[in-house]
Amino acid sequence: MTASPLPRVGALAIGVIAAATLPLWVGDFYQLHLAALIGVYWVLIAGLNLVVGYTGQLSIGHVGLLSIGSYTFAIVVGRYGVDPLLTLALAGALGGLCGFLLGLPSLRLPGFYFAMATMAFALIMAELSLAQGELTGGGAGLPVPAFNAPFDTPPGFYWLVLLVAGLITWMTWNVARLMWGRGLIALRDSEVAAAAVGVPVFRLKLTVFTFSGVTAGIGGALFASLQSYITPDTFIFELGLFFFVCIIIGGRGSILGPFVGTVVLTALPEMVAPLAKLGNFFYGLLLLAVVLVVPEGIGHLIKTVIARFQKKQPDSQGVQPDIGRLVTAIQRGHAS
Amino acid sequence: MLTVLVSGLAIGALYAATGLAYNIMFSTSKVLSVTTGHICMLGGVFGAYFMLDFGLPAPVALVGAVLVGAGFGLLTEVIAIRRVLARSDEHLWLLSTLALATMVQQAVGLWWGTEPRPFPRLFDQDFTAGVLDQKYWLPIAAVVAMALGLEFFYRRTMYGKVFQAVSEDAFAARAHGIATDRTRALSFAIAGALGGLAGFAAGQLTFAFFALGLTLTLYGFIALAVGGLGSNVGALVGGIALGLFQTVATYLFGGEYQQTIAVGLLMVVLLVKPEGLFGSKKVRPV
Repeated sequence: MTASPLPRVGALAIGVIAAATLPLWVGDFYQLHLAALIGVYWVLIAGLNLVVGYTGQLSIGHVGLLSIGSYTFAIVVGRYGVDPLLTLALAGALGGLCGFLLGLPSLRLPGFYFAMATMAFALIMAELSLAQGELTGGGAGLPVPAFNAPFDTPPGFYWLVLLVAGLITWMTWNVARLMWGRGLIALRDSEVAAAAVGVPVFRLKLTVFTFSGVTAGIGGALFASLQSYITPDTFIFELGLFFFVCIIIGGRGSILGPFVGTVVLTALPEMVAPLAKLGNFFYGLLLLAVVLVVPEGIGHLIKTVIARFQKKQPDSQGVQPDIGRLVTAIQRGHAS
Repeated sequence: MLTVLVSGLAIGALYAATGLAYNIMFSTSKVLSVTTGHICMLGGVFGAYFMLDFGLPAPVALVGAVLVGAGFGLLTEVIAIRRVLARSDEHLWLLSTLALATMVQQAVGLWWGTEPRPFPRLFDQDFTAGVLDQKYWLPIAAVVAMALGLEFFYRRTMYGKVFQAVSEDAFAARAHGIATDRTRALSFAIAGALGGLAGFAAGQLTFAFFALGLTLTLYGFIALAVGGLGSNVGALVGGIALGLFQTVATYLFGGEYQQTIAVGLLMVVLLVKPEGLFGSKKVRPV
């Protein structure tokens, strides 16, 4: 990357200002709700991106961790009246703990086994939330309270989400940029090679997975408050697939790509009615298309296109053979 | 209690059949396809569709369900496996089969409806037969037939030997002039046909239900992982054990924690004996 940092900083500043002032110029509350939803999803996806995009561990069960955060928030705030912001931290901690406990056995497993273990975890969480009726309200679900005074209006909530999402993005960006991220990418590309150069494979995987559990817990708490009512049906397995698709489509090993993926995939079905009806079929189709056509993700594709536009095709460095010398050389070879 | 054991055997037979289907595909491609359970689901749904909506007799519907299963197995190979394996990136087949599985499940959900629908009875039999009821012995008979047929196929026929050659060492088989790509495609079609058969036979037990695929994918995989990847005996033992374990636990503790129990079993086996009961230890390639 030799591009000068100035346009990037400018673009980042414009993006931040646009995001921060969104409630002031956006048309209606529905669009604001959508923007907040994107932010909430992004809180989870930013953490998951470190697991899937950087470390290459295919976790398809983060919806289970999301539901843990949601139910924690709904129960602790709704039933015991604890301060919502405190509960947000609690949900994050609990999500992290569950991520740790889930990761401890399953991260030792190779690829498909790990994916199946996380999928089983998501199904178990759905089962438990149905079975533990006194705690979670069973199939009928639970109402979720809103946040306190400055954050109880839609713009206020949006700013809270923006703050959290920005913080987490900053953290993941730091991780990805520094030595950690190198370790993660090395791990993704070849576990054995990574171990050989001194990357603590299991500890690194577990740390990153726990961190993604924290973000999933926080995301879950925000998600619950935004939805204002949760049932086990809110956390269907396909939601986990949706998170996954956002990352794969955006591209592995980048932060901006999955973010764009999240924005587009959350907003698109809301804007285009037929897609909303097809729902998960559409996500499946998209995932299949990306895996088959551009496995590095659309972000990578855009990067390639930009690189091609910025730099003209390099001058062809073809070597013109000197026919005369070649002929004499061959003839000399034959003669000897 | 006897009914519990028999129904455990029957549902275990379905898991074992799913495990066998996994094995057939895995042996030639080293791919564990997420669509495996969905193949069985298609067998059940299309069997019910042919009999209820078209009024076809059971044997014709069976052939139809098997053909649908085989077609979908082949489709999985052509769409989700071939290109991905050609590019040889190790994880991507998981994503492509997951995507295909989701699409099939949603498509069936949109077309067939999201409620479980009853599967018609195949033979005239009184409902008072108890443990001898057809819904119990049909899946068991199906999986026994599948296992014996596979054994015969692998040991006695030329094509079976080709399969084994490819599963032992695909490169060496290729060097000996075996069309490994075609063998792989054929193995997916066979797995699809057997999965369709299993789904059809277990239809009365599971109902024709669109979301069955995901559950079966998980349970079939657990059966296989417990029994040992690549071993047909392991798939049978693992499937039956899982089915019995689940129904007995449900009988004793209630049905709320079925998946928790199944996954608990998986975790215990993987921690104690990671290669499964009948699996072979593999040296990790570096």
